[in-house]
Amino acid sequence: MAPLPPLLILLPFAAGACLLCVRSDALRRILVAMVTLVVCAATVLLAVRPAAIPNFRVSINRHWLDLGTLAVEVAMALYVIYVGVRAKRPLIVAIMLAQAVLMVWFECSYGSHIEIARNLFIDNFAVIMALINGVVGGAIFLYALDYMRQYHQSAHPEFADRRPFFFALLFIFMGAMFGLVFANNLIWLFLFWEITTLCSFLLIGYTQTDEARNNALRALVMNLAGGLAFAAAIVWFYRKTGSIELQTLIASRQSLVLLPAALLCFAGITKAAQMPFSSWLLGAMVAPTPVSALLHSSTMVKAGVYLILRLAPVVAHTRVGLLVALVGGVTFVIGSLAAITTSEAKRVLAYSTVANLGLIVLCGGLGTAEAVWAGILLIIFHAVAKCLLFLCVGVVEHKLHSRDIEAMSGLIVKMPQVAVMMLVGMAGMFLAPFGMLISKWAVLKAVVDASPMLTVFIVFGSSATLFFWAKWMGKLLQVTESSERIGNELGAGEFIAIYGLSIATFLACLFFPLISSRLIEPYVLSVYGQSGSFSHGNLVIMGLMMAIVLLFPISFVNYGRRANIIKTVGPYLGGANLPGIERFAGSGGVAQNVTMQNYYLRELLNEAWLSRWGAVSCAMLLTGMVVVACL
Amino acid sequence: MAGFGKSPWILHYDASSCNGCDIETLACLTPLFDVERLGVVNTGNPKHADIFLVTGAVNEQSKSVIRNLYEQMPEPKTVVAVGACACTGGIFRECYNISGGVDNVIPVDVYVPGCAARPEAIIDGVVKAVQVLEQKHRAMRSNANRDQTLYLPAELADAPEILALQRIAYRLHEELYGGEENVPPLMETLPELTEEFSKTRFVKAVVNGKLIGSARARPNEHAAQVSRIMVHPYFQGRGIGRRLLAEIEHALQNDVKRFETAVGGKSEENIAWLQRQGYRIVQIMPAAPADTSVHLQKERA
Amino acid sequence: MNLWIRLIIYLLAGPIVGGLLVGWDRRISARMQSRLGPPILQPFYDVWKLWQKQNLVARRPQNLYIVLFLLLVIFSGALFFAGSDLLLVIFALTLGAIFFVLGAYTASSPYSFIGAERELIQMMAYEPLVLLTPIGMYVVTKSFSVHDIANHGSLLVLALPGVFLGFLYALVIKFRKSPFDLSSSHHAHQELVRGITTEFSARTLALIEVAHWYEIVFLLGWVYLFFASRPLLGVCASLGAFLFVIFVDNVFARLKWPAAIRSSWAVALVLGFGNILVLSLLQG
Repeated sequence: MAPLPPLLILLPFAAGACLLCVRSDALRRILVAMVTLVVCAATVLLAVRPAAIPNFRVSINRHWLDLGTLAVEVAMALYVIYVGVRAKRPLIVAIMLAQAVLMVWFECSYGSHIEIARNLFIDNFAVIMALINGVVGGAIFLYALDYMRQYHQSAHPEFADRRPFFFALLFIFMGAMFGLVFANNLIWLFLFWEITTLCSFLLIGYTQTDEARNNALRALVMNLAGGLAFAAAIVWFYRKTGSIELQTLIASRQSLVLLPAALLCFAGITKAAQMPFSSWLLGAMVAPTPVSALLHSSTMVKAGVYLILRLAPVVAHTRVGLLVALVGGVTFVIGSLAAITTSEAKRVLAYSTVANLGLIVLCGGLGTAEAVWAGILLIIFHAVAKCLLFLCVGVVEHKLHSRDIEAMSGLIVKMPQVAVMMLVGMAGMFLAPFGMLISKWAVLKAVVDASPMLTVFIVFGSSATLFFWAKWMGKLLQVTESSERIGNELGAGEFIAIYGLSIATFLACLFFPLISSRLIEPYVLSVYGQSGSFSHGNLVIMGLMMAIVLLFPISFVNYGRRANIIKTVGPYLGGANLPGIERFAGSGGVAQNVTMQNYYLRELLNEAWLSRWGAVSCAMLLTGMVVVACL
Repeated sequence: MAGFGKSPWILHYDASSCNGCDIETLACLTPLFDVERLGVVNTGNPKHADIFLVTGAVNEQSKSVIRNLYEQMPEPKTVVAVGACACTGGIFRECYNISGGVDNVIPVDVYVPGCAARPEAIIDGVVKAVQVLEQKHRAMRSNANRDQTLYLPAELADAPEILALQRIAYRLHEELYGGEENVPPLMETLPELTEEFSKTRFVKAVVNGKLIGSARARPNEHAAQVSRIMVHPYFQGRGIGRRLLAEIEHALQNDVKRFETAVGGKSEENIAWLQRQGYRIVQIMPAAPADTSVHLQKERA
Repeated sequence: MNLWIRLIIYLLAGPIVGGLLVGWDRRISARMQSRLGPPILQPFYDVWKLWQKQNLVARRPQNLYIVLFLLLVIFSGALFFAGSDLLLVIFALTLGAIFFVLGAYTASSPYSFIGAERELIQMMAYEPLVLLTPIGMYVVTKSFSVHDIANHGSLLVLALPGVFLGFLYALVIKFRKSPFDLSSSHHAHQELVRGITTEFSARTLALIEVAHWYEIVFLLGWVYLFFASRPLLGVCASLGAFLFVIFVDNVFARLKWPAAIRSSWAVALVLGFGNILVLSLLQG
């Protein structure tokens, strides 16, 4: 069992390096499938292991390892500075320079004095994150094989086919994620953190259009700002305690490490695209769908909230924690409201991601045992459901050539498989008894115990979320024109990924008590000595609700042979119905089609106004957080 | 079953009314008449309604709308024609754009005369419609499948309905033959029809408790005189006429060897239809005024 | 009282009580409008008639959603009267309401579509007010369980006046009364033909009506919860709340939807959260 974590980190890197050289699509498919399988199996093995993993000791000479990490960091810094200079973005250059100088100085001055007990630390939380990374990430890779082929062949032949580069980056990213969640050595964590930033930058700019380039640079500068805070946190922490281990940080006295913790929270907030840094995530939607699914909803942004949840014990019951929670809360409400106003599918998903991450940040900032337990639940369910939705939207985009939700009208007839999966995903995002609702319920309980006033965010935010998910679900079920079923909906990889994730959504819901008791609660118990949990009675009731919901698929059966029992006469159109679905005689007897467009509440909610006020208030909160931490 | 008529929900439609009858209908909802105490609710939705209240004469644009609304109402349903215009076309009957009363488009159950019909009369009409509704419901309860056409021998009690249907079904002949007096079906009176019953076999077509088609045949020694095959305009084109003819022939096939019928010379479509049912033209005789009478025959199968 | 007896009473007597309340509603409204009004049993006649009519649909799959809606409304009421977790009750009710909305979407008719959208707006409007109630009750009683709250010693409404007023506001919306009958109106009014219920007929419509009866009983039970320590006062308060809703219905005209959302959220924020803020400060 011991070598599993390093294997999980290094194998994807190696695979990525190989994929850079593989030009043939068939060979790439085989390689990707094999590595994905191995990684998935390894993470599952890791999850079901009976005993704790002994700490992995580096047998290589530590000095060379440190030098190696420094070299990689410097190389990345140089590349980023080069990018910044070429793009004429002084801010990028400045931040990267500051960060690089800081780290090099730190390494050189203190490098030899640092004592590390454990470079890697595996506990239940790390295993959960690894599971998500491995399984959900694996599903995305399989999906990406089919998706990218279609992307370059039919959807966007105008873009250069750089698939080797693309897949290499995906695998490198996955390796970096594993490194991130397993690392205890903060410098290693920082290295992997920056690798994910760089991967995100390169992947967002994949299509090399102006828009993509701009958005990639914006993502870069915001994440770099977080990285700078991260670096400063490491330095400060070492100066105060002489250690650079995460576990030591978590176990330290609050008053001692509040500033580094605050800075790390800041880094997490930029990575998780909380306000005022949400624009990079929204802009990242120009990238191909696998990128959006992997980086920008399921894994990379989860690294940000992972860090904040790790630090929860440090910031609990402090003003820093409260301010972090407020940032999360405001983001949740504003993100949910903004999602109502837009009709572009990926933008809605992006806003929803930002909002749900805000909820997790709220839990982390609150820092109680129940809150952390609820936060981890949220991570799991959100990763699965959101990934499913992104993948489905990607397939729909290719088949219908549109990202607009209005174009998805009648999808239940045109692409029934995908439509049902989307409905499952959306139900998974806001309906009982599915995962996100369970998690929100847990959050509500945690928050109301600790600080009832914070419930205002959850209450208003969830009211808003129900609106935009339900109207999207309705859009899929509406049929206003006779349309044919689109054949060949899903390629093999897409099929496995989407069906697999839907099943995972269901299984996660059915087995959430098990997940909670076997994976999450032990972690929370180990950190806090107590944990949140579900009472037995509530579980039974959730089971009953699930049973009722499972009756739903019957509605798709075209029942009623005896037409007189239920007779279809068409909708009421003022008596002016014409033959054919949803056609009526308009003025002058001209035949017209019925068109129905969702409400976007733009009279009430203005996206720009919301973003602006969200950004302003959260910027103030963040400034306050850093100031308070310094005091 | 008791209680069915305690909740009559109304769909109110203005075909081409001057709104006089409409205002009187809505006046029924006001506190003075308060028709809600009878359980009446004015729903604007055919799918929720039991009684279809139509005001105004029927013009071209209203025809398809009335038909559509009627189709979208679930069984059992009744139709009330409110006001003179809805009953017969009223003073606008002769206008070029008016096809007449509502019964030309859909089967009507209750006629409320008046111009404008008074609220008391309208309420009376609604109450009668409720009774018809209950009748239809009783008739339908034994019939497991709704919307099914039943072919039954007609009895004396059906005579008024058959006469009413006759007036509707043969209306187009009036124009064709230049006047009501030239169309014998339109001139037949109830006593004459009642008398027919002793000598003639009648068969009727019933849909959801409403008589919407009929045919008759008078048997002689060796031939039966088939006549008055008619179907309400709303139900035409569904093969009901053909089935009525088959039923009446089947009823008499053991008694006679031949079926005979006579049709006015100008009714070309009817002649063609009869020929499709197996009838051959045997004689064309002159008939008044400036017209011919075509006689057709069919041997027993 | 034994759990099962309570549930059976709710299941069997719930719709009867609900139907009678609706009958009284129509009668009282009529009297307020100087009319006589229908008999008290009219809702039962309506449902009985609807049950025997032919079922016409706009699209075939639309009816099953209503069955699920009814099941979930009964389920949440049963959960409530069984004394279970209040949050779960709300979530089950929301799930049912979403099924209702999805059924209207499936019908694919413009009127049911607008009705569905406006129903979602209504839900968005009352959700904060409804979610506030368990939160407020938790702050006072430290429990979400209906059983614990009902057996709490003190009169909750004294500690939660703002939350109670907010809940009354939500009640007007949930009962689909003016000024919030955005998505469909009862009986006498038409809103966009019949709004969300436009394409449902016969038995399905009857089920919607029955679900409404169950919901009335369960929501009034919630009002009772605020007064649980004094049962008689609670019953009076429940009926009083019902009369209040009827009164508001007859006095006000329909609000436009932006005004509906703005006013409900303002009430939630000011009255509801104001109440909770004061409580938390007092509790120290």
